[in-house]
Order: sequence, then structure tokens, then C-alpha cells
Amino acid sequence: MTEHDILRIKSLEISLMTGHNILNGIDLTIRAGRIHGVIGESGAGKSMIGSAIADTLPQGLEISRGAIEFDGLTLTDMNARTRRDLLGRDIGFIPQEPMSALNPSLTIGHQVCHHLARIGLRTAKTRQERAVELFTEVGLDRPWDLLQSYPHQLSGGMLQRVLIAMAFASNPRLVIADEPTTALDVTIQKKVVELIARTRAAHNTAVLFITHDLQLAADVCDDVSVLYAGRIVETGAAERIIHAPMHPYSRCLNLATPNLSGPKAQLMILPGTMPGPVDRMQMPGCEFALRCPLAEDQCHSTRPALDGVGTEHKSACHWPERTGLITAVEAPTGTAAGRLGEKLVLRATGLGKAYRQHDWLGRVREVHALRGLDFDVREGEFVGIVGESGSGKSSLTKLIVGLEDVSTGVLELVGLDRATAPRADFFDKVQLVFQDPQSALNPRRKIGRLVTQALEGRGGAYSAATRAELVKTLLAKVMLPPEVADRFPDQLSGGQKQRVNIARALCSNPQLLIADEIVSGLDVSVQAQILELLSALRKEAAFSLLLVSHDLAVVRHVCDRTLVMCKGEIVEQGPVEEVFGNPQHPYTRDLVAAAQGPTVSSI
Amino acid sequence: MFIAILRVIVRRLLAIVPVFAVVTVLVFGALRILPVDPAQMSLPPSATIEQVEAKREAMGLNRPIWTQYSMWAQAAITGDLGESAQYRTSTAAVVLDRLPATIELVICALIFAVCVGMTGGLLIFAVRGTALESVGLVVTSAVMALPDFLLALLFILLLGVLIPIFPVNGRLDPGMQVPSYTGFLLIDAVLTGDFRVIVSAFEHIALPVMALGLAFSPTIVRVLHASLINTYQQSYIQQARLRGLSDREILFGQALKNAIVPVVILVGTQFGGLFGGTLLVEMIFSFPGLGNLMVKAMQTADLSVIMAISLIYCATTLIFNSIADALAYLLNPRLRNG
Repeated sequence: MTEHDILRIKSLEISLMTGHNILNGIDLTIRAGRIHGVIGESGAGKSMIGSAIADTLPQGLEISRGAIEFDGLTLTDMNARTRRDLLGRDIGFIPQEPMSALNPSLTIGHQVCHHLARIGLRTAKTRQERAVELFTEVGLDRPWDLLQSYPHQLSGGMLQRVLIAMAFASNPRLVIADEPTTALDVTIQKKVVELIARTRAAHNTAVLFITHDLQLAADVCDDVSVLYAGRIVETGAAERIIHAPMHPYSRCLNLATPNLSGPKAQLMILPGTMPGPVDRMQMPGCEFALRCPLAEDQCHSTRPALDGVGTEHKSACHWPERTGLITAVEAPTGTAAGRLGEKLVLRATGLGKAYRQHDWLGRVREVHALRGLDFDVREGEFVGIVGESGSGKSSLTKLIVGLEDVSTGVLELVGLDRATAPRADFFDKVQLVFQDPQSALNPRRKIGRLVTQALEGRGGAYSAATRAELVKTLLAKVMLPPEVADRFPDQLSGGQKQRVNIARALCSNPQLLIADEIVSGLDVSVQAQILELLSALRKEAAFSLLLVSHDLAVVRHVCDRTLVMCKGEIVEQGPVEEVFGNPQHPYTRDLVAAAQGPTVSSI
Repeated sequence: MFIAILRVIVRRLLAIVPVFAVVTVLVFGALRILPVDPAQMSLPPSATIEQVEAKREAMGLNRPIWTQYSMWAQAAITGDLGESAQYRTSTAAVVLDRLPATIELVICALIFAVCVGMTGGLLIFAVRGTALESVGLVVTSAVMALPDFLLALLFILLLGVLIPIFPVNGRLDPGMQVPSYTGFLLIDAVLTGDFRVIVSAFEHIALPVMALGLAFSPTIVRVLHASLINTYQQSYIQQARLRGLSDREILFGQALKNAIVPVVILVGTQFGGLFGGTLLVEMIFSFPGLGNLMVKAMQTADLSVIMAISLIYCATTLIFNSIADALAYLLNPRLRNG
């Protein structure tokens, strides 16, 4: 196993046409056979590193300084054609969303064989045989049939395997994986990450692993660089950075991530947001100083250099040794459970939902999305629903809010039968918070009108003054300043939009709030803010929450009880600690094992 | 698989039948409301009132309109579309005599429009992000603003009169004769093997085809351009680029097959418009096709001919819609085997 550097990035700077820098003085080296993680929240510029290597920077961005060396070649000095020749041959890519990364109108075989032809396989027969060999290597069943399949006929996990097979087909020296598991289910995530680790070991490939997921990086990567506002703030061995960070930002990120085991602590909340490229120009000191719990005057005036704090461990902080001082606040225990009301807000008995599907030839078949669900939600109780895509989580929420009708069984909501009571009776009592805060808010309405939207169907009983008053209370509840009321959604950050979303759902004082993956699109620090907001709201408002999430740690952090759904059925339910601590059903065990992180055997 | 596709096409075509039946009722009704007397029109002006009455009785015009319609429909199913008042012969024969010319014109115009539209769309897309793209789009809008008959007049002025490259009327040079094998003049001309005849036939059809085709092409340019831009935002294009594919391979090997679907649907649904466009264009170029016949039939209130031609227009539109639907199925594997 050779130990030479495959990728060496030297003081790389990427800037906008206006001269504002997206990336600043990035230094990064990956040796053959190593996985180097780049961790950062959205806006940190982590994807730009991959784009810079591939020469596919978005329009308006350019490399203004620095060099990228690939196996002794200086990429930044080469012409576009020779650089392009390296792609797919010497540098492979694994994309973020496997579902859309293959051409929908060409067969898998066509696309893979086309790629194999490009990397030098001459005859159609050898290409097909090699493709089948590759598919087998990444653990795909029935590889010959796959050649004839179209991308839409495969699941996300299978597609990601195909793409991994393609990326490693040419024995590349470097593979860049940009959030390769974000779009996949937890159990698949684990397998994909293991596959990447295994394949890189077999091919002795260097891997640049870009992710926002600390836990994942800790499990997969050998080394990690933490990116904040376009700068590397800490770099070193993955183990150390995750478990003994020497930069406050790494530490805060760690504390903001909910755990699946260990004592429940309050999540770390970082005030404010990451400064954008324009704001950074006006900051002479450390970019993190404004949000750093340890910041002193010197942090605001002079920028700390990225200096060594241990063997191959560097941190850009004036006082890296103080990092350990940042600690989490112990979560108050036992308060929530005692406040549960006796009344049931929701009770499902034998609940089922079947859809009739017509294919394009008009054949009808019944699809059972939900089967025989029995569960209830008490007043003030927070219940999590976990399960993978296709498990029926969304169908269930649709049934509860009344977007779909119940096929079998009984669903009692706030004491009324969903099937017989008029729909309008439920609207005020059951509210939904949507997954994507961006598309859930009408961009042409001001926040003030958005949060009180629920009143509009209630006739003119509310005067403008009461409405304004209500806006103020609602915004205060979700910890937004009152002046936000006059802004449009586009002027808010993702986390703020999600708060508005929650405020809108709270407008009618609902008894049951349904939150469908409300934090899945958000960064770790923003997710922490929203989760803590939910916990805080719980103390004052008397609503029950049904939290749908694929992230077990999130559910554990917020909920009292959880349901585990699989293929339209509830396979296990009970208090979170019991279910996740001592899972009974094999499916729950799989989920918990996957969420606890993949076990990567480095060879 | 193949049988399944065939089934879809057959089913689509069967769905046309009821629509077509409704259209016949509407057209029949509309034509009977017109203040003209078919009986009188089908006799020489010198006919006596008794003769006209007798004719009216023979044509069934004194009976209720629904009886008239059922009489017409029964005859139409056997291929008898009545008698042309203007030509005093069978309407079917008159119409079928002119149909090949119009089909030739429309098919040529369609090919021309698709060629120009696709080339234009690809060229404008190739220079995206530059000033040339805006220039291209402005030119496209300008052409789009010109209706086919105006283009026809412009072409006559430019290419027929100022720079006389192409003849402006008729189908062949005076004195030339082509034996009729298939009824389609272009094919027959090619079959003669006489180079002069072939050139002449193509020269004569050039201007109408260009006028009709060019009027249709800007829409294709726009749709293809927009569809390509949309396709290029998809992540599989980015992924193809990251595999090192060249711009050419990406455009022709990856993007075009997806981007072409809206164009196919556009051509299919707008084909009726192209067919309708022949009316004025044929008139302007004295082109002996259906459009010309239709205008004359309207002038002489030749109801059975108007009826027959309207139904041909309607049928073409419906059939091409169905073909476009079927093609969209074929091009989209998600629909094909979902």
C-alpha cells in the first residue's frame, strides 16, 4: 500500500465575481487509501471543493488563488480538455441523490456500458461482462437483469450501488462522495457507507467524503476537516475531532446533535447564523466569534491561524484548550411525563388504508398502505413515528389530518370519529407542520398574514387589532422578534421559516400537532434550535405532538413514546428509551443498529 | 411489450370515434343553418322552380334535420359523401383528387419546420449565456409574430419576384406532364426518373412549404430551447459531466432524448394548425389542394365538399394527437413499464 498524497489542495480560494470569497485558504491533503471527511453546514462551501476539483464550479465562481494537485499533476494549470479526461477515469464521483443521477430514459446497462466504453473496454461483450462483475462486487442481485432496467425501476439504495460501481469501475485514484447517503434510508445508509469503505480498501483509492453528518463522518472517515464559513477551522484524525475536538465550533456541532444513547442533554443552541460571503469581508477576526460561547475581544479583532494542537491535529482558535469548557446543559428529567393528561387525543383501532392503483393499461390493483394500526396519543403527549420510506408514515399523517379517507378501522380524534364527524370540526384541533419550510409558505404573503392564515376560514370575527396581537403572541411563542411580521418568507433563513411554519400551526390552539419530518432538511445547528423550541413549547402549550421522523435520535430527544412502522404496520411501540434501548422486533433492531453508526472494517 | 404498445395506440384511436361522431353532428348542423339552398346550388341557374323542388325532395331537404343527418351518416359510412354542387360529381372523388397534394404540402412543411426548429433550438441553446442567445430569441419571436400567409407573401416578393429563384404558382413548369402512379406528385415525379421534372416539382412546392413550415418552426425552437435548459438542470446531466463526458456526448447522448418529449407533444397537438394553415397558403400559391378547394367550396356554398373537408381536418388533428400521445409513451420508460 503506497502512502503518497493523491490530492493536495494548497491555499485554495474561490470567489464570486464581486470579489467575495466562498472558500478561503483551504489546505487539504489525502493519501492513497484514506477517507478524508469534509464536514460543514449548508453555506460553509463544502461542495465547492468537489466542484473545484472537477472544474464544474457554478457560473460566476472562480478559483482566485491557490492550486489543486492531483497525483503530481497541477489541475489548476491544465486545460479544460485534459482535466475532463481525468474525470470518470482517475477521479470518480458518487452523487448526493442517486434517484436523479441516472438518465431516466436510458437503461442502466446502456449508461454503465457507455461509461465502460469510455474508460477503454472495447467490445460490447466485455463491457457487459465487466458491468455484471461490478454489480456483483457492490452486492446487487440479478446483475444481468439490471442491465435491461430503467432507473425508475430501482430503489435509491440500488441506484447508489450502481453509481458506486461506476465510480470505482476505472480503479480511480480519487473518489469524491458528496453527501452520498443523505437521500437514503438509515439502514441503506449504513450499507452504502460500508460499501464505499470496503471498495476503497479493495482499490486503494483516496476518498473525499463530503457530509453534514458528524456521526457518519466519525464512523467512515480516517481524517476530518471541519469547514465553517469557507475556512477549515479544525482538521485531524476523525476520532479525535469527533470525541475530543479542539475548536469550539466542532464542539458545538457535536453538542447540537441529538444522541441515541447516553444521558439526555439539552441540545447546544448556537445563536445567529453563519455569516454569508459578504458579511465575512467585514470580519477582521474569527468568523465564528459572534456565535462562540468562549469568544473574547481578541477573537473579534484578530483571526486565529490554523495551528497544530497535536499530532496531525490543527485548530484555528486562539484558545483551543478551552474547548472542553463548553458543556451541555443536563435535560430536566421526569417533568414531562408527569404532566400527561388522562384524555386521549387520538385513538386508532384496526386502522387501515388501501389505495386503488390504475396502471397505464387501466388494470386496477389494491395497495395496502396501512394495515391494522392500534395506537393512541394522550393529551400533552409527544409521540414519535419512525420508519423508512414506504413504511406508511406519510399515509398515516394524511389520514389523521383528513387529506385521505379511512378505509378500515376506527380513527377517533379529539373525541370525534374521523369517518363520520364533519371535516371542519377537526381543522382547528389538528394541525400539520410541513417538511419543507420553503415551499410550505406562500412567498407572496407577509409573515404576519401567514401565521394567522388559519383564521381566514372563520369569517370576520377577528378584528385587525386582535389579529395583530395574535401575530405578536405567536411569533413570541416560537422566539421570533415581532418585526418579522412585516417580512416575506424569502427574507428569512431556513430555521426561521420553520419557526413561522410552527407558529402558523399553533394559531388555532390545536390539541394535536403533526410534524412531518420537520427537521430533516435543516442543518444540525438549526435542527437543534427547532427541537429545543418544541421542548420549550411543550412546557407552556397543552398540545400533543405526533413527530414523524426517520432520525431515531431526534425522536428520542423530543418524544415520550414512539411507534416503529414497517410496511404499513406498527411493529413495535412503547416509551422511547425502552424501544431504542432494548428493541424487540428485528426491524427495530436493524434501525437502531443502523442509527448507531456503521461498523466499518478498515483493512 | 410490443403488444402492449399496440394496444395503447388502438385504444387511443378508438377513443377518437365518439369525438369524431360529435364533430360530424356539429358541422352538419352548422351547415344546415346557413341561409343557402343546397338544392338550388346543385342545379344550373336556369332550372325551374319545379326542378328545384324535385331536387329538394330527392335530397331529402324537406325532412327533419335529424333524418337528414342519419341519411347523410348512413351514406357516409358506405363512402358516399354526396354530390358536389360545384363540380356535379361525387364529393368523395373531388376531395380525394385534391387530398394528396395537401398531404404532400403538410408533410414537407412539417419536416421543414422540425428541421428548422430543431436546428434553431439547438443553436440557440449552444450559445446560451451569451448575447447571441438573446439575438436568437428575438429573431424567433419576430418570426413567431408573422402568420403563415404573410410569410407566403413575403417569400413571393423576395424569392419569387425580387430574386426569382422559385416559381410562385402551380405544381410543375408549363408543358410538363407526370403520369399518376400514386397520386402524390412528388413521388410520381421521382418515379419518372426525369431529373428536370423532379427539380421542377420540388421547386414549385418550395415556397408554400417554406411559408407554412417557417411559421410553425419558432414554437419548436422555443419549446426545445426551454426543454433543454430544464433538462440541463437535472442532476444526471451534472453526473454525466462528472464522468467526463464531452459537451457533445451530453447533449446528443444524454439530454436530447429527454428534452425531445415536449417537442413531440407540441408537434402532435399543433399539427391541426399546420393543416388549417394550408387554407390560405394554398390560396396564395394557387396550389391545387384541399385548402384551395375549401375556399372555392365556401364561395359557391358547396356544402357536401365543405362537410367532407372539415371532417378531414378534424380527423387529422385527432389522429395526430393520438400519435403524439403514443410517441410520448414510447419515449418515456416510466410510462411504458411503470
